[in-house]
Amino acid sequence: VLLRAILRTQPKLVYQLSIAAAFVGLVTSGAFVGNEWRIIHRSGIFQTFSGAIAVDGMTVFVQAIVLIATALGVLLALGYLRREGLETPEYLVLLLLSATGMLVMAHANDLVLVFVALEVFSIALYILAAFDRRRAESQEAGLKYFVLGAFSSAIFLYGIALTYGATGSTSLTEIATQLGVVDPKAHTGLLVAGFALLIVGLGFKVSAAPFHMWTPDVYEGSPTPVTAFMASATKVAAFAAFLRIFAGAFAQASDDWRPAIYVLAVLSLLVGTIAAAIQSDVKRMLAYSSIAHAGYILIGLQVANAGSKRNELPGTAASLFYLLVYALMALGAFGVVQSINHRGETNHAITDYKQLSKRQPLLAALLTLFLLAQAGVPFTGGFIAKLSIFRSAVDAGQYQLAIAGMLAAVIGAFVYLRLVVTMYATGQDDDPDAANEPRIKLDVGSRIALTITASAIIVLGVLPNWFLDIAHQATQLLTR
Amino acid sequence: MVAQNVAFWIFAAFMAAGAIRVVTTDNIVHAALWLVLVLAGGAAQFILLGQEFVAWVQVIVYIGAVIVLFLFGIMLTRAPMEAEEKLNNNLRWPGLAAALLFAGTLAWAFLDQWGSDKIKLTKPVRTKEIGDLVFRGYLVPFEVVGVLLLAALIGAVVMARKD
Amino acid sequence: QHYFILGAILFTIGATGLLLRRNAIVMFMCVELMLNAVNLTFVTFAKALNDSAGQAAVFFTLIVAAAEVAVGLAIIVAIFRRRQGATADDIDLMKG
Repeated sequence: VLLRAILRTQPKLVYQLSIAAAFVGLVTSGAFVGNEWRIIHRSGIFQTFSGAIAVDGMTVFVQAIVLIATALGVLLALGYLRREGLETPEYLVLLLLSATGMLVMAHANDLVLVFVALEVFSIALYILAAFDRRRAESQEAGLKYFVLGAFSSAIFLYGIALTYGATGSTSLTEIATQLGVVDPKAHTGLLVAGFALLIVGLGFKVSAAPFHMWTPDVYEGSPTPVTAFMASATKVAAFAAFLRIFAGAFAQASDDWRPAIYVLAVLSLLVGTIAAAIQSDVKRMLAYSSIAHAGYILIGLQVANAGSKRNELPGTAASLFYLLVYALMALGAFGVVQSINHRGETNHAITDYKQLSKRQPLLAALLTLFLLAQAGVPFTGGFIAKLSIFRSAVDAGQYQLAIAGMLAAVIGAFVYLRLVVTMYATGQDDDPDAANEPRIKLDVGSRIALTITASAIIVLGVLPNWFLDIAHQATQLLTR
Repeated sequence: MVAQNVAFWIFAAFMAAGAIRVVTTDNIVHAALWLVLVLAGGAAQFILLGQEFVAWVQVIVYIGAVIVLFLFGIMLTRAPMEAEEKLNNNLRWPGLAAALLFAGTLAWAFLDQWGSDKIKLTKPVRTKEIGDLVFRGYLVPFEVVGVLLLAALIGAVVMARKD
Repeated sequence: QHYFILGAILFTIGATGLLLRRNAIVMFMCVELMLNAVNLTFVTFAKALNDSAGQAAVFFTLIVAAAEVAVGLAIIVAIFRRRQGATADDIDLMKG
């Protein structure tokens, strides 16, 4: 509770003051997460507030990712806001409020709490998406995101109602015990319907394939730092809820929900990569690639802790690690896109990136790094993440899923390389004015953010095992 | 017991009719008024089920605030008062078919779980019970809802500001 | 138990309404309709299992719905200040 109080004490008066307060908030909540991790190690997992909150390995891991994503989000936003003239403290307050929602969602152990936390951060994001009132696209993105978000929350809520009816309680641990005990009766239609609706609700939030229509429009429309934050942090929180609900509570009844997730994973992979290939606008391409990434994480979820026969990396740990890497990549890629385009989000088309390497060598190099990471090239975090996902899938005997994943990775690589090539292409018609375009001065905020993400991705790529076994520990401590 | 059943069916009919009208009327204000009917029916159902607290909260919060907000929305956007042009877009009939299918599966799921046993309408639940449950069992969501309202507040302010 | 069926029917009407209608406000009303149906089902389940956790959940959904209405209408109104049309068709600047 103190955590939330700190996060919300942003004075809304002076903009600089709110930046300082934002960082104080982030640092203190970071400290909180830190000592949560120590407590867990000493005393094992515990549940407070009569079962509503479950603090365990996964919570702390997810919270750490959310905090990193928020910190980077704030850094990225500073430059953008100054440039777009939207110097209002509200932006930061809303960003932190949505972060609070995600933090709560990470350790919610009660379906009602998950729903309320989900609403907190989505409402904050609806507003953020529609923040730039001058541009019609931003408002339209906000509206689209809002309508679909409201729709998915209603479905999610209906899923909660059904599972409540079938199992008699909303707290996840009780559901788990309930499922274990009264197996024959529990597997009735009601429970399955409950699952289906929960999956649909969360599927919207995570923009898995059949429910992804909103993603490209909203990502393209809303201001870039908002997209960066949205792409990374929402997926982390939604997947945390996904993991906790399905891997945690419904583990016994897993034969009901596994095939559904299987279909979602494959669909997201296909739609994500293929659609990204035909895109001309960079932001939309990144949006579609985020759908593909959602597919990879779904693979991890699908084989959640089924693959832990030998003490291999279970599916959940792989997806947790993937979440961390994905959040960094998404933030980095969008960060670069944001710093490249000028006021008013104009040039996003691929063509504008031609000969970027000549104009801004640093930015081009950064973007290439992020794209390679997304494609999963060795020595970047992406590779290790994809590797761990595929290994857990193979462990669990889901060979077709692993193959589909690899196929999608190959197509994905093509898409990313195409952009890299355009950047470095020394085409014959390198128009003279491209060279002397004013070097885009990177303001201090996004420069720090980009360096952090870049170095983090390289570190993750080179020596991942430290992170991997943290993710591994996180799953062991998942409250049953 | 019979009275309750009869009452239930009447309200159910009202609600269903209201809902369908909300969807199909052309004039927006009519839609809002039909929504009021549906909500009132809902509140009546709650009372029938013996949950005064929820019923009255529903009446106050929903019918009082939400519908009024809708009317504001309609006024502010200067939406034409009289019937607009054909409102539903063309994919009307496939939508209907999908709806029936969905409703059917849900109904089957319910019946399968509970069969036909009547729900015993025990004594109404007193508000005190819900109160202590909320503040003991569900304390955390209560806190988070506070944050939610704050976010909604700021959001509305940001959107409404004259830029 | 026919309460459930009523809840289910209302939910579906709301859902289809949302998909079919073009006017932003009416679509939003349909979402409210769906939320109402869910509340009804929640309460009936609570009644059937005769513990009152259901009403607590309903209590929260009501609050959440109210907050959502406030924010939603703010966005919808903000958009109208720029353009008159309220139908969903013309809000599709970003196709493809």
